[in-house]
Amino acid sequence: MSLNDAVLALRNSVTISRLDHVHYLRVRGEAAYDALDRVCTPDLYVRDGQLLHGLLLDEDAHVFADIYLGCDDEEFFLLAEGPSAPALTDYLRRHTSDRDPPEIEEMGANHKVLGVDGPYAWELLGLILGQETIGLPYLTFFHTDTGICYRAGKTGEYGYGIIAAPDVIDGLWSRCLEVGSQLDVTEAGQDALDQCALENWFFNIRREGRETVTPIELQLQWRVSSRKDYVGSHALARRREEGPKQRLTAFVGGGPLKIGDTIGLESTSVGRIVNAGFSTTYDKWIALGLLDIAWAYPGIDVFHVDRDDRSIPLCSVSPPVINNRSLYLNPQIHSFSTRHEFEFPNLAGA
Amino acid sequence: MTPELKRQIEQREEVLAKVRRMLIDKLHVERTPEELDPDTPIFGSGLGLDSIDHVELVLFLERDFGIRETSVTEGRAAMRTINLLVDLILAAQEGNVVLE
Repeated sequence: MSLNDAVLALRNSVTISRLDHVHYLRVRGEAAYDALDRVCTPDLYVRDGQLLHGLLLDEDAHVFADIYLGCDDEEFFLLAEGPSAPALTDYLRRHTSDRDPPEIEEMGANHKVLGVDGPYAWELLGLILGQETIGLPYLTFFHTDTGICYRAGKTGEYGYGIIAAPDVIDGLWSRCLEVGSQLDVTEAGQDALDQCALENWFFNIRREGRETVTPIELQLQWRVSSRKDYVGSHALARRREEGPKQRLTAFVGGGPLKIGDTIGLESTSVGRIVNAGFSTTYDKWIALGLLDIAWAYPGIDVFHVDRDDRSIPLCSVSPPVINNRSLYLNPQIHSFSTRHEFEFPNLAGA
Repeated sequence: MTPELKRQIEQREEVLAKVRRMLIDKLHVERTPEELDPDTPIFGSGLGLDSIDHVELVLFLERDFGIRETSVTEGRAAMRTINLLVDLILAAQEGNVVLE
């Protein structure tokens, strides 16, 4: 399965993925809430069965991990991307051990995560876990007989994750392929998920997240509290006071773009590409760049990347560039088998 | 910076400021304007606004910018982020009304 085929399947039907890059930890004990409140960036307004999308920062307010925090009865769990599982555990222990440390259990040895994404992901989920799962609200989860099923996703389409023991995940994987054949289910790798995240302006800690910038430059302030102290909050407040010098900005290019390309404006360097790829869905090269704040606005079509005696024109745009099919699907009305009976807007937007 | 580009950025900043003010004053988003990044998602994750807030947004567009919206689904797509909302308003001001 090529990258392009996997991306097109994710945009049009449903894909399954092994989310081995997602680390699963549980945090328990009377001090669990307070401890997590001291490290997680959002205000911890989370009820049983809900997920919160947040970050873990280092002391300089650079992003350390991209997290979902779940409140599960008397416990919490973290689904984290970025650091390795031992580094994540070490981070949590280091920053919560000063007073009444919680119990932290790394669950990776006996759990895996299966991802289900696509405009018809809900239909596949209904086939393998039961029709009652179809109405699962965004950023919530429930317990199945063998694990946890949550709804989140970083592709702009319906997205779910199933956490269970490795043998259960293997069984579900086979079952997805078997019953999902009627939905044209396709396997998607991390490269396809990353490409879809890029198309839909979902933060990718393995690309733009590697830059030594804060959530302010990354336009992730919606994920951080300005009302409480947490690791990195003081550095973040200082950066906010100084004012950012750069801002992550989306681009459409007139030719191949790659990470590290310098963004020019006339004869001046005004930024750098930090994520890029050819969008099969949009049929154009798309990129994210850290751009000098003075120019960090969409709709400017005079940027360029100069490489190999060639000048590639760049236009800043308002993301996401994809008009996701999932925006127009209602599980009570639509289904994969009747998809040709409906007219949907062009995926590549207007 | 050319005068045209300067005007384009100023015009955008002006509309962005109005949209941020509306989100704070009318939709009770508990943030300062500087904390509302231009490409922040408006619904679901991001600012977490819901379908009731969407109605308020539609009223804001009609009242303050004369943009009439009859297609709720198309409206949702055009209002996914703060910047997309700004794009919509700027297009309307230039006579290129996206939704009517």
